[in-house]
Amino acid sequence: MARVVTTTRRAGLDPLKFSQPLGGALVFLGLAGAMPVMHGSKGCASFAKALLTRHFNEPIPLQTTGITEVTAVLGSGEELVVHLDAIRAKQRPEIIGLLTTGVTEVSGEDVAGQMRQYIAMMEHTTPEGAPLIVRVSTPDFIGGLSDGWSAALRALVSAVPFDGPDADDARRGSGSGSGEDTVAVLVGPSLTAADLDELCALIRGFGLAPVLVPDLSGSLDGHLAPSWQPTTTGGTGLAALRRLDRAGLVITVGATAAEAGVGLAARTDADLVHFDHLSGLRAVDALVTELMARSGRGPTHEVRRARARLADGLLDSHFGLGGARIALAMEPEALVAVGSLLHDVGAEIVAAVSPTDAPVLATAPWDEIVIGDLIDLEERAVDGGAELLIGSSHVRAVADRIGAPHLPVGFPIYDRLGATLRTTAGYAGSLRLLVDAANRLLDHHHDTDHRMDPHRDHHAERRDVSQHRIDPFDELDVLCQEPSC
Amino acid sequence: MAATDRATLFTEPACDHNRDKSAKERKAGCPKPTPGGTSGGCTFDGALITLVPIVDSAHVVHGPIACAGNSWDGRGSLSSGPDLYRRGFTSDVGEQDVIFGGEQRLFDTIIEAVERHRPPAVFVYSTCVTAMIGDDLDAVCAAAATHTGVPVIPVHAPGFVGNKNLGNKLAGEALLEHVIGTVEPPDVTDLDINLVGEYNIAGELWDVLPTLSKLGLRVRACISGDARYADVAAAHRARATMVVCSRALLGLARGLEEQYGIPWFEGSFYGVRAMNDTLRQFARLLGGGELAERAEELIELEQTAVDLALEPYRERLAGKRAVLYTGGVKSWSIVSALQDLGVEVVANGITKSSDGDVEKIQELLGPDAKIVTEGSPRELLRIAEETRADILVAGGRNQYTALKGRLPFLDINQERHIPYAGYRGAVELARRLDLAITNPVWEQVRAPAPWDAAGVA
Repeated sequence: MARVVTTTRRAGLDPLKFSQPLGGALVFLGLAGAMPVMHGSKGCASFAKALLTRHFNEPIPLQTTGITEVTAVLGSGEELVVHLDAIRAKQRPEIIGLLTTGVTEVSGEDVAGQMRQYIAMMEHTTPEGAPLIVRVSTPDFIGGLSDGWSAALRALVSAVPFDGPDADDARRGSGSGSGEDTVAVLVGPSLTAADLDELCALIRGFGLAPVLVPDLSGSLDGHLAPSWQPTTTGGTGLAALRRLDRAGLVITVGATAAEAGVGLAARTDADLVHFDHLSGLRAVDALVTELMARSGRGPTHEVRRARARLADGLLDSHFGLGGARIALAMEPEALVAVGSLLHDVGAEIVAAVSPTDAPVLATAPWDEIVIGDLIDLEERAVDGGAELLIGSSHVRAVADRIGAPHLPVGFPIYDRLGATLRTTAGYAGSLRLLVDAANRLLDHHHDTDHRMDPHRDHHAERRDVSQHRIDPFDELDVLCQEPSC
Repeated sequence: MAATDRATLFTEPACDHNRDKSAKERKAGCPKPTPGGTSGGCTFDGALITLVPIVDSAHVVHGPIACAGNSWDGRGSLSSGPDLYRRGFTSDVGEQDVIFGGEQRLFDTIIEAVERHRPPAVFVYSTCVTAMIGDDLDAVCAAAATHTGVPVIPVHAPGFVGNKNLGNKLAGEALLEHVIGTVEPPDVTDLDINLVGEYNIAGELWDVLPTLSKLGLRVRACISGDARYADVAAAHRARATMVVCSRALLGLARGLEEQYGIPWFEGSFYGVRAMNDTLRQFARLLGGGELAERAEELIELEQTAVDLALEPYRERLAGKRAVLYTGGVKSWSIVSALQDLGVEVVANGITKSSDGDVEKIQELLGPDAKIVTEGSPRELLRIAEETRADILVAGGRNQYTALKGRLPFLDINQERHIPYAGYRGAVELARRLDLAITNPVWEQVRAPAPWDAAGVA
């Protein structure tokens, strides 16, 4: 059980935190034909869009309601209607996620009332083809990305209208007739596209049919769609969402999805099982045990092989990672997932920083977690003599300053390609993360051994390679050749 | 911001785009956000673009986490030394502050930034939320400046007052009001110049500086790219100003002229013709005579070198067709750069250009070229198909429009990673165009999947 402490500093220095609307938008970006709309000024979406684009290397559908200083003060109800009308006409989304921001929350606008009115009006005038609109309260000045994700997922599963039981099913009697059993799988923000693929394959291996909510592996995994479209080009569709009531089981993976799971299970009377994360042998074993019991089947050959490989990988990597001093900075759910995995091979977590508080933090199997920024990571990493820093691309600058290697995990990753292919969860995904972490340490040892050896002083000039100093004229050619990402 | 201040900002006599507007249009100020098309940057974004490349200063964002958290260290503007501008400083305003005021929190943040990094100055940016709750930015900045002895500059550019261009303008105003003229440089020469609106994206400035220094010119202040606070504060001692591709910062150049008598011109570093013109303009403003002669010699030298380097690309690029979609001055400066290479510009977007720019474009392109007024991704792809274009040359925002449409793309705006300025940049532009068009990926991604190929059941 970890002690969760908050810094007394009153300044955000190298912020680790992202805003709630950004987290909320991510949930809608994992739905098909969707358009997240930030109810705020232009910049609210453009900054978020730029950041998401840098991370995913994909176009990001995201709009705002274009609040100006006049409408912020005199009322933005009219703007809301005009912009939603225009988005419906131009981009024709099937799902709209309306996320409030700091501006519209401060002005004390009755967005809930306005939206009820708008939806009633819309359903009256266009009963056919009206999009599902989900309103989420996500003020920028409270919480962070994970809170926004949680709020949006809760709002989504409570707002989506269900089709009701299938007529064929009802005739045949309680839900057993139509082949595969549907499982609703609500996930948190720490799972990448590659993680989600593995999770789905695992569940399917037991003869169950998972419906991911949201499914960023379908929308922002990086795929070339047949043609360009202004909304998301994949993810969970509205039709699948409307049939979530047919799922007899709700599985939540990731602490951030827990509350939404409780909401959905209560609404549909389904069974609920929750996993804070799926990183490490024990965590995945718990899910597999559950799936075996549920399906009455044994694991497939692939699952058995993957587990055997992870077990072997734990043995191979425990030499390098055992006792290694590691510093982490991530969203709460990912922090506990990645930290637990490393803790499971005997690594020492010398610094763990989360941007916001969450109940899951207290469950971490090491001593302390700090709610803070990257400056807190830097100070604690130095104090703890960290040998490896794990976190987003922002963490790379911290690692460079203190001369430690960096493993990119989390959000945002913009200094290299393939962020969605990095893994943290499942048997195979956990193994890949362990191997990556161990290799980063090995790389660094290879580099530093030569430099630190006093008998090899003629190599001294190589010590400066990690400094990243750019001489304006001499290094330009090198700079130009750097791959853009 | 007081209504009268804003009205003044929109009366920009030096801007022909503004002069071309009717009285009513001018009064209306910035265009209101278009419903369903609100994806551009806000005023706060514009202020950051202009000021953050003052690389040795701390840039403090007074607002909730969205404003700094989503934007810090997100610029392509490079530094040759200090990297304080890459660090994120924010008051991270919370719910309590929204209710009781965030001034104390901002003060503490400024003090923390100064104590940790001892920067030569701190820039403080207001945002929508802190403008709405009525925090007194000026008072906090003044108090913090007194307390620390470091200049603390308030920048009033909350996002919701308008678009990015307005933010550029407001940043320019803040520099004129609080910064420029506060430092007297010890080393003034007759050939000191200012660059306004050059952001050193991907290190572009560093491709231009060698050419300028061959002419004996020294950049006193580059506002703002790889800039130091003390240099910007001494900008009033330069002898000429060049406004680089930025209508929005004409007001700053005009202010430098009115207050300090520094003459200025509008130019571009993109393409050989533009670069030649820039050297001639500087020589003219700095007295002509012997300098002008040296400029001609330099131009001849560079032109010969560049022609030699461009020759292989001219052969390969001859007859290629480009759709160009960019804004403002760049729309014509890039047209001429592309034409220099023998590339045919088959369509050109003009959404952000003034009437003067449009005339210039039409003059360059001839009557057959398509003028694009609506830049939705769908429309751009349609035009590219219709004109059988080989490449889309546009801003990063349209990168994925092109890629998802399986169309070669060249990024020409803010976010790019490759410098195209100066003579060296002109060669790089040719090389990148050639690489983009001839890359082997296009043939592969356009081929159907085995199961879609004709003849497969």
